[in-house]
Amino acid sequence: MDRRTIAIDEAFAARAHLKIGDLISVSSRPGTIGDTVTVGAIVRRGADPSEVARGDLRVRMHLDQLQTIAGYGDRVDRFAIATTPAADISRLIDRINRVAFGFKAYRSRDIAVETSRTFQVVSRFHRAIGIITIVASSVFLLCIMVLKVEERRRDIAALRLMGISRATVVRAIVIEAAVIAVLGSALGVVLGWAVSLFVNWHYQALYRTPLEFSMVTPATVVFAVSLSLALGIAAGVVASLRLVRTPPLALFGR
Amino acid sequence: MRAALALASLIRHRARTVLAVLGVAVAAAMLLDMVMLATGMRESFRELLLSRGFEIRLAPKGTLPFDTDATIPGVGAIIATLRANPDIREISPVLGASIHILTGNRDVSGSALGIDPSVQGDYELLSGRDVTTPDAIVVNDHLLRQLGARVGDTLSVATGYDPQTRTYSGQRKLVVTGRVKFIYGANDQSSSAVRRETLEAMGGQAGDRASLFMVRVRKGANAEQVRDWIDKQLPNVTAISIATAIAQVDERLSYFRQLALILGAVSLFVGFLLVTTLVTVSVNERAGEIAVMRAIGVSRSHVVEQIVLEGVAISFAGAVLGLALGLVTARYLNAILSAFPGLPMAIDFFLFQPRAAWSALGLLIASGIGAGIYPAWRAASLPIAESLRREAIA
Repeated sequence: MDRRTIAIDEAFAARAHLKIGDLISVSSRPGTIGDTVTVGAIVRRGADPSEVARGDLRVRMHLDQLQTIAGYGDRVDRFAIATTPAADISRLIDRINRVAFGFKAYRSRDIAVETSRTFQVVSRFHRAIGIITIVASSVFLLCIMVLKVEERRRDIAALRLMGISRATVVRAIVIEAAVIAVLGSALGVVLGWAVSLFVNWHYQALYRTPLEFSMVTPATVVFAVSLSLALGIAAGVVASLRLVRTPPLALFGR
Repeated sequence: MRAALALASLIRHRARTVLAVLGVAVAAAMLLDMVMLATGMRESFRELLLSRGFEIRLAPKGTLPFDTDATIPGVGAIIATLRANPDIREISPVLGASIHILTGNRDVSGSALGIDPSVQGDYELLSGRDVTTPDAIVVNDHLLRQLGARVGDTLSVATGYDPQTRTYSGQRKLVVTGRVKFIYGANDQSSSAVRRETLEAMGGQAGDRASLFMVRVRKGANAEQVRDWIDKQLPNVTAISIATAIAQVDERLSYFRQLALILGAVSLFVGFLLVTTLVTVSVNERAGEIAVMRAIGVSRSHVVEQIVLEGVAISFAGAVLGLALGLVTARYLNAILSAFPGLPMAIDFFLFQPRAAWSALGLLIASGIGAGIYPAWRAASLPIAESLRREAIA
């Protein structure tokens, strides 16, 4: 008689050193003799945030075999129902629930929201860390810009003594600050993209999941560049106004 | 003298000094938070596990406590085996089950632990009395609120529900004798406890089963050795010591530790870069002043010390401000992570430990010293005559 086959996930295969064709014994209670089955497939698990840090090992078996091993009889935990693209899901759920006896239908999306609570907490944590990081980088950028402009006190004094107007000096400094901010953020985007690649590579290998841990989206890039530009311009305006209000000779230290 | 000169130099450019201190403060706050995150989680979990003095837990083979519905048969035999080891002082068997409490037309579901009240280590009694009789049940505040019940009320409790016939099984009237706080329970968990024999009888199971054993070892005994001994004696259980449990939690939460390490390193680097930039610009601006000092006989080491002191002063002021800021942000971040489903309420991700604060402060001071080294070297190696000439021309 042909042995039944099972599919195991990659993490299980790696941890138990199993390969296709190996024979293993499966039972529902530890220490008891179970059914001997053949490893028929090694599968990669889907990207499910709720499972990512649990480290569970999963086996896929034929339904009837699992029912027998677990002593479950002709029972299942749930049914998954695929609908046609034009189906009215809400009506369908209502209809099932009206006639159902002993079970209840849910929309997959609602179940996904419930099971991804862990992921939502992690998302909120990341957002909070992101806000702190933005505050830190804003102060850093402001400080660097102020230093950069103040370093040029003498150049500005010379320009003012030559008759260049305050407005022109302020504009020149602001344009310079904006260019530096844009160049810096462009470099930052490249660095962020590289870090994102590394983060995904590391955590996908660590948790054996195809889940994307870090994504550089156009919206993220636009936000980062805009924030950096706004901060750069603000810092340029603040620093240049301070300098042009100081008498040129005082800027020379006289 | 050196300190006074360094301070004078910082005060001369108040705006930039304030900005730099603020920058370092935010970096320091982040660093403290990350040090707290990296160490706090483990420490908090260890304190939680040790809070009732049970160093070893026994779960069904291959599982973690209450991770599955599996149970261990033969409680009496297991206790007899464990008693043979003189290093084992106390054994607390615990049976876990889901329950349904019927109140009016409502069915409130929750979990119940079957315990022996004389050795239990799962809850603290807040008011009322423990489960001294077979019909007694103690519940947590969350369940009491859900039920709208009070101590002294009688509840109709069932351990099973068949959705097809819509009938309850293992139904029994139990009297709420006390309010308790479950040590390992989550905030939003509806939990209760009854005597183990009561829960067994309600479950209709072949008796003498437990989901978990908690084992207290004799003072001075080596818990790891006892764990090894149990592993050999009882092949159908997994013995988990505090160290093993912490290692497993570490593995599950490694993401947070790594995140803490990366963000902590980035914060430190940002603080370092900020101080280096500020002090370097300050040195460049004062090239003439430094050349004059050197020309009138001020030693190189004096100049170096003054510049390094500037870096350390900014780092120190930023660090002190940052440590206060860090405690506030840690509380905020901890509140976010406390919402993890099923997380025991006693677990803190950001646990303040004086050692963490000292580590953060030490790292920042060290980075402040490091940040001052490059500008100090530049200042010390300025060519005196050339710098003076350049200053005179300027």
